[in-house]
Amino acid sequence: MGYPWGNQKAEIIDEMPMAATDMTIMESGRNYRGYVPWIAALVALIVWEVVAALHLVSAVALPSPVQVFRDLIATATVGYSGQTLLSSTLFSFGRIAVGFALAVLVGIPIGFWMATTDWVFLIIDPFLQFLRPIPPLAYLPLIVAWFGIGELPKVILIFFCTIPIVIISAMSGVKGVQENRKRVAECFGANRWQMFRYVILPSALPEVFTGMRVGIGVAWTCLVAAEMIAASRGLGWMIMSAGGQLQIGVVFVGIIIIGLLGYGMELGIRTLEKKMVPWKGRA
Amino acid sequence: MIQFEDVGKMYPATSKGGEPTIAVQEFSLRIEDGEFCSIVGPSGCGKTTILNMLAGFETPTRGQIVVGDDVVTKPGPERTVVFQRPSLLPWMTVSDNIGFGLTIRDKNPKGHQQEIMQMVEEMGLSGFESHFPYQLSGGMQQRVSIARALITDPTSLLMDEPFGALDAQTRSDMQRFLLELWKTSQPTVLFITHDVDEAILLSDRVVVMTPRPGMVAEEFSIELKRPRKWDSILSTEFLRYKKQILSVLRQEAG
Repeated sequence: MGYPWGNQKAEIIDEMPMAATDMTIMESGRNYRGYVPWIAALVALIVWEVVAALHLVSAVALPSPVQVFRDLIATATVGYSGQTLLSSTLFSFGRIAVGFALAVLVGIPIGFWMATTDWVFLIIDPFLQFLRPIPPLAYLPLIVAWFGIGELPKVILIFFCTIPIVIISAMSGVKGVQENRKRVAECFGANRWQMFRYVILPSALPEVFTGMRVGIGVAWTCLVAAEMIAASRGLGWMIMSAGGQLQIGVVFVGIIIIGLLGYGMELGIRTLEKKMVPWKGRA
Repeated sequence: MIQFEDVGKMYPATSKGGEPTIAVQEFSLRIEDGEFCSIVGPSGCGKTTILNMLAGFETPTRGQIVVGDDVVTKPGPERTVVFQRPSLLPWMTVSDNIGFGLTIRDKNPKGHQQEIMQMVEEMGLSGFESHFPYQLSGGMQQRVSIARALITDPTSLLMDEPFGALDAQTRSDMQRFLLELWKTSQPTVLFITHDVDEAILLSDRVVVMTPRPGMVAEEFSIELKRPRKWDSILSTEFLRYKKQILSVLRQEAG
């Protein structure tokens, strides 16, 4: 039988131009989206080179990009204070990866649980809000006193810096679920697990991803603090140590590597987000 | 059969000093099996509250609602709801959205392809079963939402201003579409609207409500013959009903 009054074709044709315009905008958008970031980076480099070449500040304080590139090669091959750039990078990356992954694995369930069970919220929320505004440098001495100076305290510091963000985003993701979507599932008699699996979890995902993107930035910010704990390798350590010896070129190398890695991780999460929540912002 | 027995709903005072609100008061109504019953009334008169109580989303503070032999205490698959906004699940394709009720019922997301495809075809959604809701127009989204409500073969279909957000042309298409569907499967329909034309065109009976606290002001049996066509709304009988209903609404508005 189908659509009984025969204007089904007309309506579908009507739909197409909309979809087609969307496509064209995206298509033509891709052209400049590909190269604008590169041009912006290139312009920044040129400005930097010009400022350095004008010697407005001393070459010790502001090495030119070329000088920094030389330092990059030197730290990558010879190393800095016995650590090659690769090993420093891998150590930093490893600490962040472990600390942040733990924060995500622990934080998301806690956030979901706090959002759905009132007494859990009442117990955890005071601690969460109390811990959140304390800068990592302030509880650094405690972490050193309790966990020593190995890898563990650094991972724990990153864990504690990032977990509030993950918890809060997961919690607000669950609380923001549209009432009618839950009601639809209730109508069909969904049990708690089905409600979670089919409605609450997917509804919360966009906010969880936003939390992860903010969290990964914070994790890198905490890194320097973490590696001030009697570290002898890692990017944060390298920056602090080179700064003390006025090797500003090496400081720049450390900063650039951290920036690039942070950017890379952000792009990674963004790609994952597009795959997992393609509807974000459209429904 | 659906029976509202002296149903009342009061919302308590709010912490910010809002007075307690009586949304619905002494509401009694009986809807026969297979009847198409509309409720019209001024905005804020408790129409939606009545539908929510029948659906089981809210509980009456007085009286009770009986469906068949059972008092309504919670939502159930025999009373499905179509909301004003389609409320589709944006992470599911059109066919997964349509089959959602079956997925929940059978605890199995696969294995309903045949029923879903048949529904897709009946709803005029062929070719769109793998699209996501945000890729469809408002009218098509609402058709998906109606399909989702019908696929579990409910005995009653509760519709809360389902076409209120659509443009005039799409709305009138959807009205005819709904009548066709209703003719074939004949569920009991409770249809909430503020559009008097829509109520008369679709219904066997139109219930007019008073402003808050909502009560039944008057009921009208609509004896226009079916199938009703687009020009039914120009017939003398239709206009007579419309005049009567509008005058009750005006009177109630004071």
